[in-house]
Order: sequence, then structure tokens, then C-alpha cells
Amino acid sequence: MRGGQHSFLKEFCIPFLLGAQNSDGGWGFYAQSESRVESTCWALRALENACIPVSMECLHGAREYLLKEQLADGSWPAAPHERTGGWVTSLVCSLWSQQKERENSVRAGLQWLCEDFPRDSRLWRRLLRRVVLSPGVFEQDESLLGWGWTPGTSSWVEPTSFALMALHDCPSGWLPPGSSRRCELAKRLLYDRMCPQGAWNCGNPKVYGVEGEPLVLPTAWALLALRNQPAHEKKSKSLVWLRNTFGSIQGSASMAIAGITLEAFACAYRDFVFRLKKCPMSGISFAQR
Amino acid sequence: MNQRSAQLIPSFQRPASRVLIRRALNYQRDLGAIILESLGQFQMRVRGKTVLLKPNLVGFDPLGIMNTHPAVIAATRESFLRLGASAVFIGDGPAMDRDTEAILQSVKLREFTGPLASIFRDLNLDDVVRVPLATRATQLKELFLPKTVLGVDFLVSLAKLKTHHWAGVTLSLKNMFGVVPGACYGWPKNVLHWAGIDNSILDINALVRPDFAIIDGIVGMEGNGPIQGTPKAAGVLIFGDDPVAVDATACRLMGLKPEKVTHLARAGTLLGNLEVTKIHELGERVETVRTPFSVLEEFHQLREKN
Repeated sequence: MRGGQHSFLKEFCIPFLLGAQNSDGGWGFYAQSESRVESTCWALRALENACIPVSMECLHGAREYLLKEQLADGSWPAAPHERTGGWVTSLVCSLWSQQKERENSVRAGLQWLCEDFPRDSRLWRRLLRRVVLSPGVFEQDESLLGWGWTPGTSSWVEPTSFALMALHDCPSGWLPPGSSRRCELAKRLLYDRMCPQGAWNCGNPKVYGVEGEPLVLPTAWALLALRNQPAHEKKSKSLVWLRNTFGSIQGSASMAIAGITLEAFACAYRDFVFRLKKCPMSGISFAQR
Repeated sequence: MNQRSAQLIPSFQRPASRVLIRRALNYQRDLGAIILESLGQFQMRVRGKTVLLKPNLVGFDPLGIMNTHPAVIAATRESFLRLGASAVFIGDGPAMDRDTEAILQSVKLREFTGPLASIFRDLNLDDVVRVPLATRATQLKELFLPKTVLGVDFLVSLAKLKTHHWAGVTLSLKNMFGVVPGACYGWPKNVLHWAGIDNSILDINALVRPDFAIIDGIVGMEGNGPIQGTPKAAGVLIFGDDPVAVDATACRLMGLKPEKVTHLARAGTLLGNLEVTKIHELGERVETVRTPFSVLEEFHQLREKN
């Protein structure tokens, strides 16, 4: 870790997170907002890997919060008191992928993930779309299958990437039957949904013949999901896009995830912490409301 | 929930609505004076109240063509403050990109409004409440909605004049898709597409009931909107306290038939006035500012010539 990063984490990020933890052990998207599974996953991941010691009480509280939020079917909900699980299930499974004591929770989560099939790839849906939609509305392979944000909807780049990461991160013995085929289809889907110029947006590379513009976050997540896969021309093209775009990223979330991605691919990038600190809009991301 | 959870009124019982069209040829003009004077014509009771402006911030937009222009957002905010509102927030939950901060930077909103930390609400990440739907246009039955939206006294849909490749048009009613939180439903909010876009528009609007609608039609978008269309200057701002009437008027201005836009036709039964006979036009007449917008071939039936 670079010196600037270390002091930024130690002096700003970690104290901020510690101060923003709610009494139920979780974190909201802002200090003093309600705990959510997603924000708790990101905060816990950061603190478990922190460069300075973090109290066990803090980490324990967060883990208890996540355990409490798990639904009976093994999934985790994206909203408090939601009765249906969603894409955040992947985040928790990935977070706990190396924690033997969480094996049962994670196994249940992975089982739920692999039993959640997007509706858009079903045969009758694909036939219906052919009848209803004009040719050229979408130019993508509808037979491929990834994951949606919510159950029973369509496959999108980010939730597919999160699910792939969860399934890759976990020991093979924890994976449910059929997961390897889901992973293969999902990887093919990611390459299929890539923008023609390289990199990804939410998952519509071309609509009505018009090429979609790539975005930083979907590109970073997809690259991280594919990082341990064999070299692929499309992956390299996307990495080049992210590296070239890095200097003009304007949001702190995009900048942080892009930085993590470039680091995972051992790509050089400059002025990360300096730019993150200077992010003029950081009032929205970090302000206490 | 606040007082906005008003009754749904069948069209035959509803009094006429008022819609004001004002010319504004570009964003450099004194929009503050135009907007303040226009709002003044509606005698709104906003003194001492909290107001939320819900602009259409659909995506990363360095060229300023797909989102409600920041000059309009800032001038509207200033106008409501001058009318006595106790606080005026700006909030949206962009549908396609979860980095709202990057979108705000790309449209340079801060340069028009000043620091945003205390006035902007990212509705994608706001605290949420589960709310039963007031209507059953979809089978969703309930939605999680941001506390900010449910908590303010006065909600303004601050849309952009655009055609839309799924809904035909995206105006003040469709703009309310942005109140549905991405952190619950994703980017895009795909559950609404599966529930039916037109019906989702109805359920959302029947629930949150915008008190006022303003459409930025100074430069709109035609063709393959809401993101990949072509900029189209119409040189107008449209105001009204009935979002259905405002959208219907906007359609007529774009050379489109509102009664052929599925969600508008249905909204005309319970949410507001669609028929031209029940819309009292203030300011410019539609005929004098009509600017035909092109639509995708799939929506050819919307064109007035048909």
C-alpha cells in the first residue's frame, strides 16, 4: 500500500466508518441512516482488511447484523424488512467466502443464487420478444443467463458480476450442483453484453442500432468478475478503456472501484488518493446528514 | 405519509386544470424571473413548507442533452425559496448508473446551485419505507419508497421534454420512476419494466402524487430517447398543478396525441385531465409554439397526422 493511501485510510476512511456504525451493528449508505445489507457488506469488507486494528466488538456487531438479516430461504434482502432476497446475497456470500464458521449461511445463500433464474432467458419469453419487438431493437444473445437485481427479472452486468465473484470466491465444496454451468453462461453473457467499443454499461450494448456508452462501475465489476479467467481480447480492450478513462472519473465511488480494479490487474494509475480527497462532490458521499 | 396522499378523482368530477407555457429560447436567459413569475400565477401555498424538486437526471451527460438542465433546476429552487418555502431539496435516483455523484458532476449542477451536500438527496440510497400501492395497475401491491419523497410537503416533478423508446414520451409522470430506489430494485429498476412500464407509471404517480409539474422544453430530445435521442430545441417551459394536463399539453406541443400514449390515456381517468377541453391554457398557446418531435417507427401512431 502506498504511503498516501495508508494515511488516508487511517486518518479519514476508517474513523469515518467506525463512527458511522449503527447500534444494530450495520451501516447505512450515510452516517445516521438505516442499516442496509449492501452498505454493511462494503463497510465490513473494508474494516476486515483495514491497515490498522479494528475492535472485535465492531466486527462482531456487523456480522451479527448480517446473520440476523438472512431470510429463511438463504437470501439477503436489499431493503430493511423486505421479505424477498436480491442481488446483495452475492455480496454477503463473497464477503464470507473464506470464513468456515459462516459455511452454512453461505451455502444457503449460494443455493438461493443458483435457483434464481432471470425470466428474460426463458424460451417462451425469447419467442415472445421475437414476435413483439422489431428486429434490431436489441442485438444480444437472449439465450444467455446471468443474474438480475431482483428475482425473476432480467440479467444485468453488475448483479451477474457480483454472483460470479461470490461463486468463484467460495470453496468448491460449498457450491451447489449446477453452479459451474451457471458460471459458464454468466461469463459468456458478460462478453456478449459488452459495448461494441469495449467495456460495459448496465447491460444494453446496443438498442435500436445505437451503441451504448460504457460506464465505469459496471466495467470495473465485470473486469473483477473475469479477472481470474483466461486472457480474452475483449477483457483486454475493456481494461484499456478503464485505464484511459480513469483520469477523467468524477465520482468518488467510481474512482474507488476503478482504482481497486486497476490494482487487481496490476495496472499503473496515478494520483488516486489525491483525487479522491479532492472529489468536489464528496459532500454527498461522505457527509453526515 | 403527508397530505399529498389525496383522493383519486374520476375525470368527470374533476375541474379544469391550468397549464402555462412560457417561451424561453435558451438557458442563458434570466430563467429565475420567468420561473418565479410563472409559479406566481398558480398561487401555490408553499410558504413555510418543505419542497422536493425531482429533476430528470437519467445519466452521465457532459453535453447536457438528456437531463433537466441545471440552470432550470437552480432557478426553480431559487423561485420556491423566494415564494417562502422553508427548504427546497433536489432529489433523484438515476436509473442507469449508480454513481449519482458522477452524474451530478457531469451536468455541473453544483456550479448553478452551490454546494449540494445539504440540499441534494440521492433517492437511490435514501432510507426507505414499504408503502402499499393506492392503485392496482400493476401486480406489485407495494413499493419501497424514499423517506425524503414521502416526508416533504410539496413535490415537484421537474422533467425534460423527451420522447422515450418504451413509453412513447417521458415527461412529468414518467419522470417519477426516479423516486423508486435503485438500492432496492437495481440499475435499471427492472422490476418496473417487468411489471409493465405504463402501469408502473400509473401506480407510482397515484402513490406519490406530484403537486406540481414543470417541463424543461428549452432543449428536449426526440427519436430514440431518453438517452440516445437527438437534441431538439422547443424553446419552452411548461408549468402546471396537474401533471397529466402538463404532459398532455407537452405532447400536443411535440405534435403527438396524448390519448395515444398508453400511460397518459390511463392517467386521464383518475390522475388528472387529458382532454384539451379540460385544460385551460395560460401564456403561449400550443399552436404558436408547436415543435413536432420525431418518434421511433414503433410509435408512429402517436403522431398527430395519423
